[in-house]
Amino acid sequence: MTVGAAQLRASLFRRHGAAVSRRAKTTVTTAFLAMGAAYVLVPIYWLVVASSKTNSQLFSTPTFLPPAHPSWASNFKDLFTYQNGDFGWWLLNSFIYSSVTAALGATVSTLCGYGLAKYSFRGRRVVFALVVGSLMVPATALVVPLFLLEHFMGLTNTYQGVILPLVVYPFGVYFMSIFAADAVPDNLVDSARVDGAGEMRTLWQIGRPLLMPGIVTLFLLSFIGTWNNYFLPLVLLGTESRFPLTVGLSAWLSSISSVGAQPIYPEIILGSFVSVLPMLILFPFLQKYVARGLTLGAIAGE
Amino acid sequence: MAVQVGSASASSPVRVMVPSRGTTPRQPPLRAAQGRSGLLMTGPFLALFAVFFAGPFVYSIVLSLRSPLTGAYSGLFNYRTVMSNGEFWSGVVRMGYFGVVQVTVMICLAIGLALLLDSPYCRAKKLFALIYFLPYAVPGVIAAIMWGFLLEPDLDGALGVPHQLGLASGPVQPLDYRLALYAIMLIVTWEWTGYNMTILLTSLTNVPHQVIEAAKVDGASELSIAARIKLPMVRRTVMFTIMLSIIGTLQLFNEPVILNEIATTGSALTPNQIIYNTAFAFGNEELAAAQSVVLAGITIVATIAFFGIVRRRMGPFGATRAAAK
Repeated sequence: MTVGAAQLRASLFRRHGAAVSRRAKTTVTTAFLAMGAAYVLVPIYWLVVASSKTNSQLFSTPTFLPPAHPSWASNFKDLFTYQNGDFGWWLLNSFIYSSVTAALGATVSTLCGYGLAKYSFRGRRVVFALVVGSLMVPATALVVPLFLLEHFMGLTNTYQGVILPLVVYPFGVYFMSIFAADAVPDNLVDSARVDGAGEMRTLWQIGRPLLMPGIVTLFLLSFIGTWNNYFLPLVLLGTESRFPLTVGLSAWLSSISSVGAQPIYPEIILGSFVSVLPMLILFPFLQKYVARGLTLGAIAGE
Repeated sequence: MAVQVGSASASSPVRVMVPSRGTTPRQPPLRAAQGRSGLLMTGPFLALFAVFFAGPFVYSIVLSLRSPLTGAYSGLFNYRTVMSNGEFWSGVVRMGYFGVVQVTVMICLAIGLALLLDSPYCRAKKLFALIYFLPYAVPGVIAAIMWGFLLEPDLDGALGVPHQLGLASGPVQPLDYRLALYAIMLIVTWEWTGYNMTILLTSLTNVPHQVIEAAKVDGASELSIAARIKLPMVRRTVMFTIMLSIIGTLQLFNEPVILNEIATTGSALTPNQIIYNTAFAFGNEELAAAQSVVLAGITIVATIAFFGIVRRRMGPFGATRAAAK
């Protein structure tokens, strides 16, 4: 496109006005974005402030102002000693449930997704249809029958009873089948084969390094999903010492409303803070892996 | 998208160096062995899937056909009970209303924020994108506890301000049974707007540069670029986020349960709460199974109907396209 001298002059004149309006637009844009950020950050800010207050301060001091003397130390002590220190177990349990589920889930989904992407075998279409079909079945609809089946198998109220159903991660398989198709070139797999490597060795030595970003994504999605899960462990677990954080804190919450209950608001608030702290600290580093997992499903068809 | 083994390799250097295989790209025995390895790799998933997914799925159907009293086969008895169960259907209708209001607000917010972040007027894009995405790392239970306490007048003095100014007869009670649904909307919007925004933003980043540059050369304003170029190009992703949100709405459980603990909002608001109560408060697992099957059916029909509409209007996308390959 050619720009004539007159046009050029006109655009230079416009540019001065544009600079002013550009600054105004930037200000307006930033103002809107800041409002959105405030919506997200206000409750988190409140959680930090409130977790430093005593029970009476929670009801008497201004909601969003920190107390003169933060009581984190004594609140921490109360949090980890209340009810024989159940909270410490919940924290440990959440780590166990999440890390074991994520490790097994990422492994199983990667194997299956790679198998679907790189091999042709009888039944491949059926397996793929099962995976995609089960994406539509809401997992919560399976909780009641799952409870009864696990009851027959003696799995309720056990760690494996919570972990194994969550290892089944149809989205993970779907994700990995798309990821592996692009990430592992066929001629690389072929040359490994010609060099005499077995299929599993090819996957381990050639596939694994190429698939690693996808595996990390699956691990994180599964870890966060399990850490945040409530419905499934609520139904499957009965013993307080096996609860994850979500179920434990909701049990404390319901004990508040019972008659003659102890006012354990500081414990619940600090407990909530401790439950989100590890992920909030790690999130800036993990964000891009997590985002890739969410977006790949949505963008695959475009 | 999935490329079949050996299909493109006849010309690869390795193949050329091996004369016996260079002539025929695929050798049946090797292919069969490779196929077996593929099947073996899906084995662990399929085994666990059978026990912990397909098993409960089939069992819920079997259970739903049994009598709650005798355990004997009772045909569609439980389904007739579900059909005439006013509480269950008002829960479903309530979620329909929730979906129309909350999903609309949330998706509009997510689109707006994503377009702002993608515009040339945005500063500190990475920081904002991170902040919006943070709630994804917060469990629904904890989000509900935070907001529940913030919406509770005893704990949040700000809710008493209208009363002190003489504008209300008492402190604002957002967790009152009449307003609880809107409190849940506020919490769910807080939790999921950034998630949807993240999906949309990635999709916006994939819009070809040349198209936008061409529009700029033609003198299009940023606003019209956003409305006429960017938005139409990510419309499939928008549809995808709407669909995910509808599915999520039908499954709501954590937030209403937690708010009920804080403020005793009373009755079960969502279908999943009703199913939980049917099974574990009233011990009627057969009826709960039937309710689960109906809810899953509603979800699947809604998903397929949505895919159908989108597909007819925009062509295949996402999971449907992958399924067809």
